[in-house]
Parts: sequence; structure tokens; C-alpha cells
Amino acid sequence: MIKAVALTKSYGRTRAVDDLSFEVHDGVVTGFLGPNGSGKSTTMRMILGLDRPQAGTVTLDDRTYHDLAWPLREVGAVLEAKAVHPGRSARNHLLGVAQSNAIPKGRVDEVLDLVGLAGVADRRVGKFSLGMGQRLGIATALLGDPGVLLFDEPINGLDPEGILWVRNLLKSLAAEGRTIFVSSHLMSEMALTATDLVVIGRGRLIADTTVREFISSNTEPTVLVRAPEDARLSDLLVSLGASVAPGGEGGLLVTRITPAQIGEAALGAGIALHELSPQLASLEEVFMDLTSDTVDYHGGGGTGAGP
Amino acid sequence: MTTASPPAPAAPRAAVVQPGRAGLGRAIVSEWTKARSVRSTWIAVAIVVMAGVGLSALVSNIEAGRWSTLGVADRAQFDPVRFSQTGEFISQFVVGVLGALVVTSEYATGSVRTTLAGMPRRMNVLGSKAVVAAVVVFLVSEVTAFVSFFVGQAILTAHGGRTLPVGSSIVTQIRSPVIPVETIGGVGALRAVFLCGIYLTLLALIALGIGLIVRHTAAAISLYVGVLLVIPLIIQILPSHISDGIEKYLPSNLGLAMIVVTTRKTDFAGVLLSPWAAVALLAVYAVVVGAVGAWFLTRRDA
Repeated sequence: MIKAVALTKSYGRTRAVDDLSFEVHDGVVTGFLGPNGSGKSTTMRMILGLDRPQAGTVTLDDRTYHDLAWPLREVGAVLEAKAVHPGRSARNHLLGVAQSNAIPKGRVDEVLDLVGLAGVADRRVGKFSLGMGQRLGIATALLGDPGVLLFDEPINGLDPEGILWVRNLLKSLAAEGRTIFVSSHLMSEMALTATDLVVIGRGRLIADTTVREFISSNTEPTVLVRAPEDARLSDLLVSLGASVAPGGEGGLLVTRITPAQIGEAALGAGIALHELSPQLASLEEVFMDLTSDTVDYHGGGGTGAGP
Repeated sequence: MTTASPPAPAAPRAAVVQPGRAGLGRAIVSEWTKARSVRSTWIAVAIVVMAGVGLSALVSNIEAGRWSTLGVADRAQFDPVRFSQTGEFISQFVVGVLGALVVTSEYATGSVRTTLAGMPRRMNVLGSKAVVAAVVVFLVSEVTAFVSFFVGQAILTAHGGRTLPVGSSIVTQIRSPVIPVETIGGVGALRAVFLCGIYLTLLALIALGIGLIVRHTAAAISLYVGVLLVIPLIIQILPSHISDGIEKYLPSNLGLAMIVVTTRKTDFAGVLLSPWAAVALLAVYAVVVGAVGAWFLTRRDA
């Protein structure tokens, strides 16, 4: 289990991570979600003892990273793709890392097989594609067969096949009882891989929950209704305490009322319904709503925070 | 916000318990694998060997041809040992690049994060890098220095040179009809050749320390070259009453003090420190730069 308590880290006057507390549990994939620049990478570096927090602590099964006798046998991390000397072969890179933590040499070939790089093991890493570099990073993380794995944006630069491979790998690693902590700025990706979620924006905790709860607690059940007499239906529903908004193409988006109540009210008033469908808010929308005021860098257009 | 999910029952994973902890010994093995698996290490080694032996042969050849035409002053400075160690001038830059790259190439690629994650006690990282760089540079430099010495003397001998009698004075050397040749048993010769390798080893460690401080290959090498080449030039421009007091403490002149055989020569007397004082002072420089580098390595975020 990873436990962060009141982690705080500033770079100059910028608070990269601000009083951040969360827990990452064993046996599930926990997504670490936030817009770009929200402090995810900084947090991961603090977990690994690479960056020093100004305040707060982060522990792995109640020990700090510095206390681990053989860190790579307990924690594996994929921080950036191709963080390897371009002139070194994949095999020599892995061998050097393995030797530092007394990991048997045979494990190098095992992880090369596991990530599908056995055929290019002796090729210089500089010739690797981004996807191959990402696989080498994952092989490096898996070398010590660690119980805790951190992945910082692992699907960046991967082709669809690679993305599927990473998803399945993360799930199978979690199924083996490992603690898996994966950062991403893509909510949809997390919805497919993660069970638990830690959501941050501008270094602050927005949610520490499960994917399911995150969606249900942050979206209001909405029903799309289409009726020829939409004006009369709208008045009727408002009189019953519902909120009604135009839903485009003549439909109405209705909240604070169940589909059953809408159907019965329409029947009672003799209004024909052409459509009555509960709407599932997209995860992307929920995420964007929650983090929109915490995004540091908006794209062009009218939503920017000032000039 | 809301509650987190309860931890799922963890499937038991076979935990292999390894005694001890990741320490200096493992780090050294790892660093050696890293050093030997990149071309730059072997290119540096090749340049040190080729520059050392090649320049020894070239300079000894040229100097042998000049002996009969030399005046008194030039004959007094004729130093068969130093001619054989001319390659040191080039090698000092090569070992500097090697020492800096051991650190900065990891910062350039980001692989330093993997290294430090594997060795959270960062002094072990510094120690292992210093040991590997020092051992590689020491072995290569010493072998090169001795081979260069014997090649140089062989060439002087081939030109008709001969060893002067033990205890010969500077006058004997000036009046000698044949080219003076040095033996490794001659006064100061073994020391000069051996210290050539020590000089290069200490320089590599200084460059490594600079690498830890600036973390950037080009910046580290520029600083290193600045210390060896540019600062001496600036000091030379200063009025001599100032520069005379400083010059002998410059790393490049400490190197000269180590590899010059001053016993029969007069031109360096008083201008240079004694060879062993020079070794000690250069070692102090290396320790100071290394300590500053260690401070940055252990305090700064990776």
C-alpha cells in the first residue's frame, strides 16, 4: 500500500503538489488522474524518493522509500520513455539495473521475453521506437518482480495494439496482488483499466474513490425526452419539480426526476412520448467539469483564465 | 471526498528474501556494466593509448634529430621522460570527458532516475561512479604511460642515444655528444611516468565532480577545459608579481610538476611544486570538487 500524507512540493513560487493525501491499495489498478501539469509526475518522483517534499510523507507499507533494502525488488517505476543511454543495448541496460539490486542475471531474459523485446535485446536503444522504449521501461520496472508498480503515462506514444497490451498487463499485475498506480490525463483510459481513482488538479486532491463512485457521485441522472408537444411536457415536468433544458434536435434534457415519473406524468396528461432515454454522462465530461477550474494552461478560445 | 475501496485480498506472491541491502559493491558492479557497454568509454581508452604512444614516438623522433643542433639552454631542458609523456596533454581532455560523461550522460537521458531509484543512498552512486572512472582511467593511463616511456626511449636509442652515467650533472648532459636516454631506474623517471597516470586519474575525478555540480555534458566539459586551458591563459596576462604566486597551483602546472624530471634541470626550479606536493594538492582539489558534487547529488531533486 502506498500512503501519502499531506505531501507538499513547490518549485519557486509554484505549488506543484499541495497538501496531497491519498492511499493506493493492493490488488487493484489505481488510476492517478489529472490534467497535464497537475503534479502527477512530481508526486510519483516523491514516492520514489527522487524529489524531496517540503512537507508531508509518503510511505510504502509503512516504510519510506529510503528504508527499502533492495528498492527495485519492492518498487518498479516507469517514469519516462527511453530514459536509457542510446548507445547501450537493451540487455546491457537491464543487466546494469539488475546488478545494482542483486537481481539474478536470468531475470533479464525473462523480462525481455515478457515485454516482447527478446528479438532486439542486443540492439542499441537509440534505434528503438517510442513504443519499444516504453516496453523497455516496463521491463526495467518488472526486473525485481516488485509488489508495487508505478507507471507515469504508460500509454503515451503507443499504437492501439500496444495500448491494449499495457491495459492487460496492468490488470494481470494487479490480479497477482500487486499495488498498481498508473497516471494518466485521459479519463477514458482510466475507466478501462482502473478500479480505484485518485484525481488531482493543480496539485490538490479532487477525489480519492473508485471509478464507479466517482462517476455516480459526480453526475446527475439525466433523461432525454422527445415529444411532439414538448412545450406542454416541459411545463408539466417543471410543475413536478424537475429541471428541463433544451437537448438539441427538439429533445429535452430532464433532471431531478426519474424516467418512470416522466412516463406516468405524460400518460396522465395525454402527451405522446417519442423517446425516453436515461443519459450516461461521459467520464471525460465528468473529469473535465471537475478539473476545468484547476487546469493551468487552457487552449486558445474563450475559456482561458484571463489574458 | 468519498471513501476509498477496501483493499482487495492480495494473492500471495513468492517473496524472495535477499539478505543485506543495495550498497556500494553492487553499485560498482552495475556502474562497470554501464561503463563497458557504451562506445564512448572505449573510444576514450583508444584515444588515450594512441595519443600517448603515438605522440611519444613522434616527439622522441623529432627531438632525437635535433640533439646535435641544440644550444646549451635547450640541452639543459632536454627531458627524455617528458618527451615520452607528451600524449598526456591530449589525454587530460579525453579523461575529463570520460569522467564528466559518467555522470552527465545519465542526466541527459533521464536514466539517472533509474539509478537513484535503485540506490536511494546516493553516496553509493557517487562512490561507484568514482571508483569505476578512477580504476578505468588509472589502468589505461598507467599502461599507456609506461609503454610510451619505453617506446620513447627505444626511439632515442635507435638514433644513437645512450643513458648517461648515474649521478650525471646538468653539465654532463649539456656536453654529452650522444642523445641522452633515460632508464626507468634513472633519477625521477619511474616517479614521473607513474605520476602521469595519477595526474590523469585525479583529473577524471575532478571532471566527474564538475558533472555532478552542473549535470550537463557540454557545460561540464566547458568548465573543465576552462580550468585546464583558459584560466592559465588569463593568469599569464596578469602582472608577473601576481601570476608567479598563483601559477604553480594551477592543475595544469601541478601535472607538469608531477611529470617533469627536475633533478638535472634548472628551468623549473622554484616555479613548480615538488612532485608529491603537486599530487597532494591536486588530490585536495579532487576531494573539494567531489564534496561539492556530493552535496548537490544528495540535496537536489533528481
